Order: sequence, then C-alpha cells, then structure tokens
Amino acid sequence: MRVPQIRGARAGVLVVAGAAALAPLLVPEVFLNVASRAILFGIVGLSINVLIGYTGQVSLGHAAFVGIGAFGAGFAQTEMVLPFPVALVFAGLTGGVAAVVLGGVALRVRGLYLALVTLAYGIFAQEVIFNIRSLTGGGAGMPAPRPSFATGNLAYAYMCLGLLGVAIAFDRRLTSSRAGRAIQALRDDERVAASWGVNVTAYKLLGFVISGAMAGIAGGLLASVEQIVAPLDFAFTLSLTFLLMAVIGGVGSRAGAVVAGVFVASLPTLLDAAHRNIPFPPFSVLNASFSPLVVALLVLIGFLFFPGGFAEVGRTIAGAVRARAARSRAAAAVAVASDPLIDVSVGEGAHAGA
Amino acid sequence: MKAVLDVLVIGLQNGAIYSLVALGLVLVYKATRVLNFAHGEVGTTAAFVAWVLIVGGDTERGALTPGALWWAAIPAVVVGVLLSMGVSTLIGRLRGSSAVTSLVATVAIALLLVATQLGFFRAQARRFPRFVEGSPCLRGAADGTCARELTIGSIVVSWHTLIILAVLGVTSLLLAAFFRTRWGTALLAMAQDPYAAELQGISVRRMTMLAWGMAGALAAIAGILGAGVFNQLTPGLMLGTFLIPGFTAAVLGGITSMAGAAVGGIVLGITVAAANQIVQSLRWNLPGPPHVAVLLVLMAVLLVRPRGLLGKEA
Repeated sequence: MRVPQIRGARAGVLVVAGAAALAPLLVPEVFLNVASRAILFGIVGLSINVLIGYTGQVSLGHAAFVGIGAFGAGFAQTEMVLPFPVALVFAGLTGGVAAVVLGGVALRVRGLYLALVTLAYGIFAQEVIFNIRSLTGGGAGMPAPRPSFATGNLAYAYMCLGLLGVAIAFDRRLTSSRAGRAIQALRDDERVAASWGVNVTAYKLLGFVISGAMAGIAGGLLASVEQIVAPLDFAFTLSLTFLLMAVIGGVGSRAGAVVAGVFVASLPTLLDAAHRNIPFPPFSVLNASFSPLVVALLVLIGFLFFPGGFAEVGRTIAGAVRARAARSRAAAAVAVASDPLIDVSVGEGAHAGA
Repeated sequence: MKAVLDVLVIGLQNGAIYSLVALGLVLVYKATRVLNFAHGEVGTTAAFVAWVLIVGGDTERGALTPGALWWAAIPAVVVGVLLSMGVSTLIGRLRGSSAVTSLVATVAIALLLVATQLGFFRAQARRFPRFVEGSPCLRGAADGTCARELTIGSIVVSWHTLIILAVLGVTSLLLAAFFRTRWGTALLAMAQDPYAAELQGISVRRMTMLAWGMAGALAAIAGILGAGVFNQLTPGLMLGTFLIPGFTAAVLGGITSMAGAAVGGIVLGITVAAANQIVQSLRWNLPGPPHVAVLLVLMAVLLVRPRGLLGKEA
C-alpha cells in the first residue's frame, strides 16, 4: 500500500506543476503582470521562509533585501550596462550582502531584539539607501528593462515561473543537504548544534546570505515587471506584510510559503474583482486597498484557530481525506478479509496511511 | 555655540516624544514581556479620532476648529486606552505561545490599524492642530504683533515644544507616584513574578489590563503631540516616525526601566539632532541622517551594553 501512496504524492506534484505551467496561458493579458508579481512573491515567500522557518530568525526588514536587489538589478542594467542575467546575479549578490550585515548582528542579538533591529534596518533602507540619488535615481526611479528574450508580458511571466521552479528545487536540495540540516539544527538549539560540530557562526551567516540572495533575485525580477523601480515600491511596511505572509503560509513549509506569496500578491486584484462583481457584503465593502487588512486578519484568526498556517490547513484537509480513504479501505479490507484468497495486509496499509 | 543650543532644543522636543513612546513600550514589556509593535498605531488611531472630532466629523471639507484639540484629546485618549486593552486581550488569548508569536500578532495588529486608517482616511496628509500654535512672545510690538519671540540659539522655540516637555515632566511624575501606590506596587509584583503575585491575591488579568490601558493613554498622548510636531497626520504616522526611536530609547534606557525610558528618549533625541546637525554642516549628501543615527544607536546598545543605561537585566 505504501508504494502507490508515494506514487500518488509524486503524481500530485506533477499535476500541480502542470497546472502551474498552464496557468499563465489562462490569465487575461491585463493581469499577466499581476501573475508575474504573484509568482515572484512566491520566491520572496521561499526566501523569508529560509530565514524564519529554517534559521528561526524573525525578520521585519525583508523588503530591504528585496528592494536592494531591485535597485541592484536596475543599477547593473542602467548604469553598468550589464546584460539581464548578469544583472540578476548582481541583484542576488547585493541582496546577500545586505542580509549578511544583519546576520552579523544576529550572531550577538537574538529574538525580539533582533526583530527590532531588522525593523530599524528596513526603515533605514527605505529612508536612506533607497534615497541615495546616484544609486537609485531618487524619486524618479531607476529603469530596469526586461531581457530581450522575454519582453512580452506572457514570456516574462513564464521566465519568472521557471525561476520559481528553480528556487523551489534549490530549496528542496537545501533542506536535504548538510548545510540545510545544519541551519535547521541551529534553529532548534544552537548549543546542541555546536556540540555536534556545527559551525554556528558560519551557518547562521549562510542562512542570512541564502535568504538575502533569494530575496535580491526576486527583487531584481520584480523591478523588471514594471520596468522601473522607485523607492516607494519597497516601503518598510511591505516587510510587515512579508512577515505575515510567512506566518500565513505556515513557518517552515515550502509549499505554504509559495502559496502564501502567490495569495498575498494577487489578493488586491482578487478583492477588486470581487468588489466589482459580487454585490453583497463583505465583497461590496472590501476593495483592493483593504488587502493588508485581510492579510492581518487572516494572521490573527490563524493564530487563534490554525497556528500552523496554510500548511496546517492543508495537512488537516489532507489528513481528513486520507482518514476517509483509510476508512473506506478498511471497510473494503473487512469485506475482502473474509475472502481467503486475498492478502489481509491491505488493512495494515490502510492503518499506516491513517 | 549656537549650533549646540539648536541641537539641544530640537533634541529635547523630539526626545520628549521618544520618551513618551518609550514609557508606554516599557510599561507593557515590564508587565507582560511583549514588545508591542502596535503601540505606535494605537497612538495614530487615537490622533485620528481627535482629528475627526476637531473637523466636526466632516473628513473631506471640515475646517480645524481652533482650540478644539483641548477637549477632543480626552475622547482620543479614551479610545487609545480601550484600543490598547483590546490588543492586550487578543495577545492574552495567545498566552503560552512563544514570544515570537505575540510579536507577530502585534505586527499584524499594527498593519490592521494602518489599513483601517487607510480605509477611512485614504493615503492623504491631513492638517493637524497643536494645543497652542505659535511661540511665546517676550516683547509685544505696538501694533499687537510680536517684536521678539522666545529664541534659543537660532531656533524660535514654539509653545508646542514647551508643552511636549511639560507633558513628559508631568507624566513622569505621575508614573513615579503611581508606582508608590498599592496598585503600582501590585503591578511591579506581577512584573517580577505573575504566579507569586497571583498567590498574594493580585489579579494578573486586571493588572495586565491596567498596564496596557496606561500604555494606551501614553500612546494616544504621544500620537497627538507627534502629529502636532509635523502639523499633519497621515495613516501609519507613528509607525514610520516615532515607534522605532521609541523602541531604541527603551532599549537604551534598559528595557524594563521606566526612568531609563524617559532618560533614554532625551539622550537619543539629542544624539539624533546632533547627528543631523553634523551631517548638514559637513554638507554630506546623506539622506535621512536621523534614521542612520537611530539604527546605529540601537545596534551599538544591543551589541555593547544590552542592559542599557539603567536596566538591571539583559
């Protein structure tokens, strides 16, 4: 019974991947850029999940990494005249450097205090870094053109989707690698990890670098969605939304992080569509500007009823489905058990499944 | 010399608001070990309540009624108290979960309050009054105007600055007196050990409400005075301006020390003003020197002396 279940899970992944691959084709042209943003928020979700879910550090300044990456990509393309892929690598580097600064602080400062520093860092990035005219173009913004092979909205959405796939694959490899396990060991208990020979300093910094680089790349890609970056695109309040996004997804869950990212990015558009088409409350009241309110409410409701976020809701539903399947299988097993020709071990499999 | 006096005046004015914010943050942290990121927005929301009353409910065309802030501040403070108690109830529901959970919850509430303000008032700056406009006049001219205003260094000292300092002074004295009363001692006992306090017959629930309620009043006062500094009110004002300096002041003073919060705010205010003055006089092309100064002070305190100036614990 175990083998078909694994096959089922793999089939599920294939179905999800296939549906995701077809999704941009179904999105109307006007919403393609929203779709690109949603996909890229998925990468941001993975990035913040590395920090919060794997290293266990709370970040209230993630928009700083994303924004620095966005300006990095814009600067590399506009001022240094580098081709898009190189600019994207540059964005990842700047994001990683921006994050490792905080990582250095995190070696000494922990928990709530670290959260405080990251928030101050986010405001510092918004008010200082993003306003250095020579680097960011000031209020007018910095142009960030798309690559020549993906200038169309659909092509760009597919490029982002492909890179989200790469990010997911990277994240999978990370969690099953030595480095990934070391980072997660730090989250659980630094002293125990150190006693097992885990280099606390190096792996903590590595966690920040990986998260910052992913955020920077997502930022570089976000910059080219509208093909211009302005300081207000990455206001520090966006960091708060990112944190809530990670919590909605379920801390530490890869799928949850991506789904929550896609959800948060497309929420304003969804609310707007519902506002225009559904004439009764709550939809008639909520328009796009209420999107942060909905996100915040979801987090609070989630804390009170589903502390595990989307991932837990998903697991609960999956568990219920599996339990029902197990019941029906058990019923079938009872039916077949009376048939001496059929192996009774089917029933055991059903129990293992439940 | 003039520059030093300028720094002192600006530093004292902003520092006093940092202190007021920090006092509320420390009160809540002391009582319930929660870093309340919603504190600033409780203040902004209260300021919006005052503003709605001052413009007579007409949020689009209403004019500021002169002098109305004096009475409008009272319901605003009440709203601040109730809001803060509401936040406390919600956070209390999450008791037993990790410190990070309650932190995320306060962040969610902060965002919720900003979104609510945006929903009602849109992303727009509204003119906000001060208790007393203008500055004290030392010598009147014959035609009724002022010939010489109160000036220290090159800064004309406004009534608003003096009122902020007076409010901080009165608040500090009231708080100091409060912690000598029965209720104040009960609050301190709970801060030390909730379980032991409960055994002594102190209602932890009631004391928690008291601490958060007082913090709400402080947040509202800081919000009204802070909006007055800019002469305008925007959604999310306190979160973007005074909250982080307030936290920094609290950490600088030692996160559980009320006296530290008051001192920390003033020290931070003067430091920030000095940094601003230095950057300007050197003609550096650095945007937002106050934000740089706040971040550097926060990191320096946490890295070098985590227990702050007057703190007893790390």
